[in-house]
Amino acid sequence: MSTINFAAREINFKIVYYGPGMSGKTTNLKWVFQQVPQNRKGEMVSLATEDERTLFFDFLPVDLGEVKGFKTRFHLYTVPGQVFYNASRKLILRGVDGLVFVADSAPNRLRANAESMRNLRENLAEYGIKAEDIPIVLQANKRDTPDALPVEMIQAVIDPEMRLPIFEAVATTGVGVFETLKAVSRQVLSRVAAAS
Amino acid sequence: MVEPAIALFGGAYENASQVLEELLRESGARYALLLDRKGFVLAHKEALWAPRPPALDSLATLIAGNAAATQALAKMLGESRFNELLHQGATHGLYAEEVGELALLVVIFDNSAPVGRVKLFGKRAVQALEVITRDSVVQPGTLGIDHEYRDGASALLDELFGN
Repeated sequence: MSTINFAAREINFKIVYYGPGMSGKTTNLKWVFQQVPQNRKGEMVSLATEDERTLFFDFLPVDLGEVKGFKTRFHLYTVPGQVFYNASRKLILRGVDGLVFVADSAPNRLRANAESMRNLRENLAEYGIKAEDIPIVLQANKRDTPDALPVEMIQAVIDPEMRLPIFEAVATTGVGVFETLKAVSRQVLSRVAAAS
Repeated sequence: MVEPAIALFGGAYENASQVLEELLRESGARYALLLDRKGFVLAHKEALWAPRPPALDSLATLIAGNAAATQALAKMLGESRFNELLHQGATHGLYAEEVGELALLVVIFDNSAPVGRVKLFGKRAVQALEVITRDSVVQPGTLGIDHEYRDGASALLDELFGN
């Protein structure tokens, strides 16, 4: 649920990057951090292990600007992708407004993508949220992998009904990063506007 | 979304700010913040003598994450909740306490403020803030974000991230 601070005239949205370990969630955030002008972003916080695996979460606040007198901000989070960090992953989903599911295009990660999506559905259910009821955008990352699987094959395992929009990306070079973020942000805004 | 939100404005915001200000005055602490459980700042006050605080967004996010992890630990140990969080370093300390189901009070102090005093006045502030936040809970769909807002924000997305 978005948070409105009338006193500070701020509207905040929470967007979470989900997906299997090493799929590029943190890389997405790092690209956004590098590209967004200094005056439109806050500090990037990373709670990571020594080998740069996300331990709890990464966090990056992005200022969109002022709309109808309200400062609008997107708080971007990643979850730890490794299977054994599920307890932490679940905590990050609290109050989420929109999700980016970052899938890995490598053939040997197909099962990991499927398992992570199932895990996402289970964790959302614990908050009483159905995956169908929340904006989710898919990203097929690492398209530059020499033997990258066809996007349709990846989507078939994480979204068999082909219901969700999917973007191809190479997050290390920024390809598809902003497109994905814009798509999920638009869905979040539309959903909140429709609810009013 | 399923979870309700706290929207502090008008009198409720003024009252919450007053409680935080009183807490700073009585405890001698540097900063007092009221956060929601998702890590967004609802209200904050700084003592006039205190230096500029660290980035509030980052602070709020880390404390909310920390509090959520602490509650998960409590449940694993068969406790319904651990009520407070206290961290103390050589010169700075941080005290966080639940404010009902949806919010957190955070007090940051230095070694000129005795921790016992911070906790005493912190707990007193929590009681007042609990009433204020309980009355400020809004259900989804009543926040008044309209299509005009959506279109304006959407245009800003293009401006920031390109077409």
